[in-house]
Amino acid sequence: MTRALCTAGVLCFLGAFAATTGAGEHDLDRLIAEAHQPGADGALQPMPVVGDAVFLRRVYVDLIGRIPTADEVREFGTWPAGDRRAKLIDQLLQDERFADRWTIFYSDMLRLRSQAAGGAALIAYVHEALKNGLPYDEMCRRLIYSNGKAGKVPEAGFILGDDADPLAMASITSQVFLGVRIGCAQCHDHPFDVWTRRDFYDLAAFFGKTRRFESQLTRVIYATETSQTSILWPPEGAPGSDARKPLEPRFPFPGTTGDADPEFVKRREALRAERQTALAAADTGPTLDDLLDSSSEKVAKATTGELIKEQATAEAKSEIRKIDVQKGLYQPSELREQLAVAVTDPRNLYFSRALVNRVWKTLVGRGFVEPVDDFRQDNAAALPAALDYLAGEFVACDYDLRSLVRLIVNSEAYQRGHAPADSSEAVRVEMETNLLATPVRRMQSEALYDSIVTAGHLFEPKHSPGRNVKTIRTTMLVPVKGGGEGTAIRPNDLAKGKGAAMPAMALGAGGDPAEGAGYALEAAIELDFTALLKDQGDDEVEIDEMRAMSQEELEAQRMMQMRMARSSLNYEEQVLERQVDDNPVFSTAMRMQSPAPEGHFLRVFGQPNRSDLGDLRDDAASMRQALMMLNGRVTHEASRVGDLEPVHALLVGRSANLDEAIQLVYLEILTRAPSKEELTDAKEILNSSPNPTDGMADLRWILLNCNEFRFLP
Amino acid sequence: MPNTLVDGRLNRRSLLAGGGATFLGMSVRGLLAGQGKDHAAQAEHVILFWNGGGMSHIDTWDPKPGRPTGGEFDAISTNADGVRISEIFPQLATQMKHCALVRSIAGTQGDHGRATHQLQTSYLPFPNLVYPGIGSVVAHELPNLGDLPAYISISGQAPRAGYLGQKCEAYFVPGPGDKDPYLAFPEGIAEFRGNKRLEVLAKFNKRFNGNSTDERLKATQTSIDEAVDLMRSPALEAFEFKNVKPETLARYGNNPFGRGALLAKRLVEKGVRFVQINRGGYDTHQQNFPAMRDHGEIMDPALASLVSDLAESGLLKKTLVIMLSEFGRTPKINKDSGRDHWASVFSCFLAGGGIRGGTVIGSSDEDGAMPADRPVQVPEIHASICHALGINPNKEVMTPLSRPMKLVDNGAPVMELFA
Repeated sequence: MTRALCTAGVLCFLGAFAATTGAGEHDLDRLIAEAHQPGADGALQPMPVVGDAVFLRRVYVDLIGRIPTADEVREFGTWPAGDRRAKLIDQLLQDERFADRWTIFYSDMLRLRSQAAGGAALIAYVHEALKNGLPYDEMCRRLIYSNGKAGKVPEAGFILGDDADPLAMASITSQVFLGVRIGCAQCHDHPFDVWTRRDFYDLAAFFGKTRRFESQLTRVIYATETSQTSILWPPEGAPGSDARKPLEPRFPFPGTTGDADPEFVKRREALRAERQTALAAADTGPTLDDLLDSSSEKVAKATTGELIKEQATAEAKSEIRKIDVQKGLYQPSELREQLAVAVTDPRNLYFSRALVNRVWKTLVGRGFVEPVDDFRQDNAAALPAALDYLAGEFVACDYDLRSLVRLIVNSEAYQRGHAPADSSEAVRVEMETNLLATPVRRMQSEALYDSIVTAGHLFEPKHSPGRNVKTIRTTMLVPVKGGGEGTAIRPNDLAKGKGAAMPAMALGAGGDPAEGAGYALEAAIELDFTALLKDQGDDEVEIDEMRAMSQEELEAQRMMQMRMARSSLNYEEQVLERQVDDNPVFSTAMRMQSPAPEGHFLRVFGQPNRSDLGDLRDDAASMRQALMMLNGRVTHEASRVGDLEPVHALLVGRSANLDEAIQLVYLEILTRAPSKEELTDAKEILNSSPNPTDGMADLRWILLNCNEFRFLP
Repeated sequence: MPNTLVDGRLNRRSLLAGGGATFLGMSVRGLLAGQGKDHAAQAEHVILFWNGGGMSHIDTWDPKPGRPTGGEFDAISTNADGVRISEIFPQLATQMKHCALVRSIAGTQGDHGRATHQLQTSYLPFPNLVYPGIGSVVAHELPNLGDLPAYISISGQAPRAGYLGQKCEAYFVPGPGDKDPYLAFPEGIAEFRGNKRLEVLAKFNKRFNGNSTDERLKATQTSIDEAVDLMRSPALEAFEFKNVKPETLARYGNNPFGRGALLAKRLVEKGVRFVQINRGGYDTHQQNFPAMRDHGEIMDPALASLVSDLAESGLLKKTLVIMLSEFGRTPKINKDSGRDHWASVFSCFLAGGGIRGGTVIGSSDEDGAMPADRPVQVPEIHASICHALGINPNKEVMTPLSRPMKLVDNGAPVMELFA
């Protein structure tokens, strides 16, 4: 079958099966229906579940952070209609990109910064945890109690990210993991809630003995325990603060269930017991490779004595000696271990509700509680029964994020359409709050970037070699004949200090011609997660140094060059020409160092700086976004037609067929077929262009820029 | 007031038209409000030099020659009576009659991150609030003049707009004099073709938006319209250095800082309210003196040319030039011939915008270790910037969660600065 026929077939299926639903009877939907009393006067009716094409686009972007390709849409079309939505969901949950996309989710929530001490390794660790399905509670416990060296013990990056400051950590632990903004009680009793200043300090006391150290000599940064607490009561400046005493930690959040274990806790216990049995049957003990592979695991084992049991070769013995030295330094904090247990207690509904609420917000567009990290008495959840149901299920599946996401995206609540376009603001909000309709969501910045790259076939070269040869002119300082050493050719980029425009990312030294053209704000510099988690002996992986330089470093380099230039007058500026085959390939924004530098595509489209607590993603429009999309490089390259792309054959040559070309790009960009009117418009664009490939570039540029592309259907 | 003022975007033409039509009928207060002002004030623009790293006060604005820790540089006299500055500023010394110094800033933060936050926003960092930088405050309070963005940051970072919203974020430009690729259609897309694309895009968006009441859909098209207005603005020539005389460039210094100062002047001429120019390399824990000499060679011609050019064109009266850094540096010279972080006292440089030229506010003790006279708290600097522009620093704005926040963290303007 030719590709053209395929396309036609797919479009057929999208039309024919537009109303099939994959969602069956779902407890969540029952609870939502119960909460919304039908029969009440003027009750609003729920919107129907969306068609397959809309569902595909939504679920691809939400689960793996990009729109589906034409091939993926075609494949889905070949599956039997009955349960194909559920089947696709299961498939996407196992996709490699699921961990990538949800690393972004955790990175926002946990405020992970690849430039912070140990930050890049921590992001890689969270990615690994997601990939392997490490239970959420276990991941959180490790983040809360781990000590150690930045980068070497990835989990310690969490506390080092905020310099192990007990007051900051109290605010963060409460707000990030429990959704309670207890930080307001740092200076005064909480104005809108029950938390007192004493509660805040009691919580901070769990972090009182942890210290951050930085070796002046080696610049190694680590967190460790001391014997004295830094948290005293009353706080500085408060009445009685002349006689301040060390404070014993106390977990201020009340137990939530009181009586016997609720049934979801019992289900979790049963699940764990079952897994334990299966594991014990299969357990053959760690291999030597395991032993030498992951230092943080080793240290964790050493601190619990497990390592001693393991067979050790000479190599491993020397490893263990090193670990013994580190043991005292790296041992987890006892106080923070107690805190970690209290925070992640399965009966602590704050913990499960907070995560469920964030996931719900991410997938559906509006949290049960808004803002998502502000649970308090006078900020009640919309549909509390639905929230608690999901929280219970999350505990029962042993805090498995994939299971939670599966549960949500299989529900009708997730698969409903938006409120009718002409609804008044009030009706729309009411429908959305009651989960009768889903809010319109803009793709988050990383997904938007990756979707443009996907739609424009930019993950792989799309032009044959030699088709885009360009002459790049660079101004260089070159030694004049007879003076200086002939080797000292320096790119004028640095002499002119261009790099200072990008404090976090030095411009590539002439590698990618586009970077030289000032498009660094759209570059994606990938982190190598595997390398970041590999134990490299005493040499840390210094991702920051690999391509990023601080402003100071750039300045120093620039100054040295200026001094060199001053010391010798034997240089002159020359314009050098070189030939470059500009055949751009873009890598995923999901694995980019994050947060991206100020002004970068991802930041402009709402990636938070992850430093301020409570800095949530913003989807407001701005002029900078428009400039980036209208004139930026990613959109431009995605629009241009490459001869290796499927659409090329439909535009030129014997099998050219403009109708099918247009249908294909609508499928690739908007995951749907064009209407009759749109087809006419598109043909007009193509026909009025000097050649069909330019016309197609115009059409694609328009489709990528239009609202329908960035807002999820 | 016309609605155009509500979102703070009012171009010069409509401002003039509106002001002209109602001038006679309005009270002075109403007239001031029409310009976004709380009180009569001279300044309309700010040029902020942000010197990242913590610039030594002793080796620049507050020299202590003859003291054991005074360092290598002499103090030189200037054309402002009795005002002496470091010898690394020989050209600026001839412009000091236009300039003022505050030598008694009593800082409290010795950490780069926290001090940067405070010096750029007036607030200390605190969970759950993203505080706006002072540039965003200005962009928020005063209506736009001309077509260019109100707040432009050159070469690197700028604080965020926080609760003042996206509209008050800085517009980032790459290295001054470099082409900003985002202000024109992509390479190979001619004007005619680009405009055609925009036309069809607007049609497609209109069809998609339909009669939706979702404001975000309309906001996208508005942002596109704003972007296109900017792309078509003749004011963009300010970014082009093609027609700048080589002598002028040489006078400022053909380096990022000099070009930045020149670009700042050209942007202010086009109506930009707030320009921030970033430069790093002041964290001189080692080899403080050669580093500061290098910095002087870069800063001196640029600052002197900027002040003298603005004074000559008359724009200095309307433009407050200010140079800030996180903190000063220790009087003690360390074993690496460096100076370390020192927040207890440091200085800042100002010129224009209605300040009294030749003024020195406060003083530090004989070694430059502590304030000796008239200690100035950090937020007083931001309050002074506001005051110069006619903005009430104590005005409250609401965060999205309805928490009232003052524009400046409880600072009173340093009134002695003003004529």
